[in-house]
Amino acid sequence: MQKNKKNINKAFLLVITISMVFLMVLPYLWMITASLKERGHVSDPPYLFPKTFDFSNYTKAWNGAPFGKYYLNTIFVAVVVVVSRILFGSLAAYVFAFIKFKGRDFIYFLYISTMMIPFYAIVIPMYLLVNDFGWLNSYQALIIPRLADAFSIMILRQSFISIPHDYIDAAKMDGASHWHILWKIVVPMSLPSVITSAIFSFLYIWNDFFWPFLVANEPELRVIQIGLQAFTGQYLTEWTYWMAGTVIASLPPVLIFIFGQKYYISGLSRTGLK
Amino acid sequence: MFKSFFRKRNNTLTAIIFLLPSAVVFIVFVFYPILKAFRLSLFEWNNPSKEPIFIGLENYKELLSDARFMNSLKVTFTYAFSVTFISIILGLLIATILNNKNLPFKTFFRGLFFLPTVTPTIVAAMVWIILFNPTYGFINTILRNFISSPPNWFSDPDWALLTLMLLGIWRRLGFTIIIYLAALQNIPSEYYEIAQMDGANTLQTFRYVTIPQMLPTTLMLITLGLMDAFMVFDQVLITTRGGPAGVTEVVSLFLYTDAFTLFKMGKGSAISVIIFVIIMVITIIQWRLVGFGTNEDVA
Repeated sequence: MQKNKKNINKAFLLVITISMVFLMVLPYLWMITASLKERGHVSDPPYLFPKTFDFSNYTKAWNGAPFGKYYLNTIFVAVVVVVSRILFGSLAAYVFAFIKFKGRDFIYFLYISTMMIPFYAIVIPMYLLVNDFGWLNSYQALIIPRLADAFSIMILRQSFISIPHDYIDAAKMDGASHWHILWKIVVPMSLPSVITSAIFSFLYIWNDFFWPFLVANEPELRVIQIGLQAFTGQYLTEWTYWMAGTVIASLPPVLIFIFGQKYYISGLSRTGLK
Repeated sequence: MFKSFFRKRNNTLTAIIFLLPSAVVFIVFVFYPILKAFRLSLFEWNNPSKEPIFIGLENYKELLSDARFMNSLKVTFTYAFSVTFISIILGLLIATILNNKNLPFKTFFRGLFFLPTVTPTIVAAMVWIILFNPTYGFINTILRNFISSPPNWFSDPDWALLTLMLLGIWRRLGFTIIIYLAALQNIPSEYYEIAQMDGANTLQTFRYVTIPQMLPTTLMLITLGLMDAFMVFDQVLITTRGGPAGVTEVVSLFLYTDAFTLFKMGKGSAISVIIFVIIMVITIIQWRLVGFGTNEDVA
């Protein structure tokens, strides 16, 4: 009797959850299905699970716009930004975690406060600055303002602090330099946070739209989201092509999320639970 | 000197060298621009080839008496509050269900709920445009089986903002669910055992144990959600461009139009400053309520 009730309970829970999940993934399901449909038949007849597998939309989309180029541009920007954020972030986090001096906490406060400054509050002077530097429509504009971020510094510092002091003291006794301690002991012991930072930076660059839209809208320099927007502008009513394009543009973040879920979620919980 | 730096661990020198790269980025691309925005907001500068003219607080006066600007603030606040509160309420309910120990495949479900959040905004917006297309869209094709004239969604003045909110909630929900799930797992299980011993039913337990325990997390989700939703731009640009008749013209779009299509850099900066002040007020309220977010002991 008790067991029966439990099973009913479980079935009920499962039904509720699945119906909610269904609503959440409906747009996704539909996007994939539509991308596999025959050209011009985006909603007629309407169905959610793919019945036809017409991959010609993908070849049309891939050839209709230089998606390969957009991919490479974005990956180039993302790799430089990811590496630099880990490098600069680890250096700064090391100071905030291990080197005490007067005014340090105030500097840390200033660093963290950059997360609270909305992008729209600084976008005009940033645009003018990039223009003055002669960086409009160049990789510099996409990369240099993004070389460091407070979020990476924050999660790296949190992880550095939790390293047992014995390790660092022992290295100091052996006469190791700060540089050596940072890269040979502290960073290797904080790999999960390094990976979390890398995932966040990569997704940030991959999903970024407004800034590249302003400063790098030339065909040669387009990153993926700008490229996708330009592509759909070019094929106004070719919706099956659109959907192939959106699948192409969302594949990397979805894959990264699936394989890096653990790190991603730990990073999120840390933005939240403090 | 360089040698001794590596040998002797000069703390001050190390601190300066280690902080320098990130400090340069923040000073040049965050702190200088925000100060510059304050300064520029006091000028009229509509022509890049001419010198800016000092006009004091004129830009602010003009903005505050501009019905279009006030409308954009109203639209943004309506959007931000609705998206934030609805995704918080739904998020807590769904997280509670996902936290139930009888539910199988939890990680899988959690991942699916989170999928919209990792989707690029441009992708999400494009899918929604077609999904909600009045004539050929999937939603209306289905709805026409039940009602004769379903709404025109993005192109309907009565529905456009609501459709945009739906998109916002869809993308936000995963985040609130993940945060609530992490917080729910921190509630000591004794609390639930005591509630059970006292004969509380599921609803009462939720009301008297879960909700009060979730208060700090909820406050934080409200401020983070408001900040995020207040900055909505990409999806509006792609779906409605502020139309029809300005019902979805959010403040970031207003800023974009004035600063980057009409080149009113001074007036645009005044809008920037107003956005900055609003976000600061939200941030300070958060710090007051839940404390400054850098204390790793609580994390």
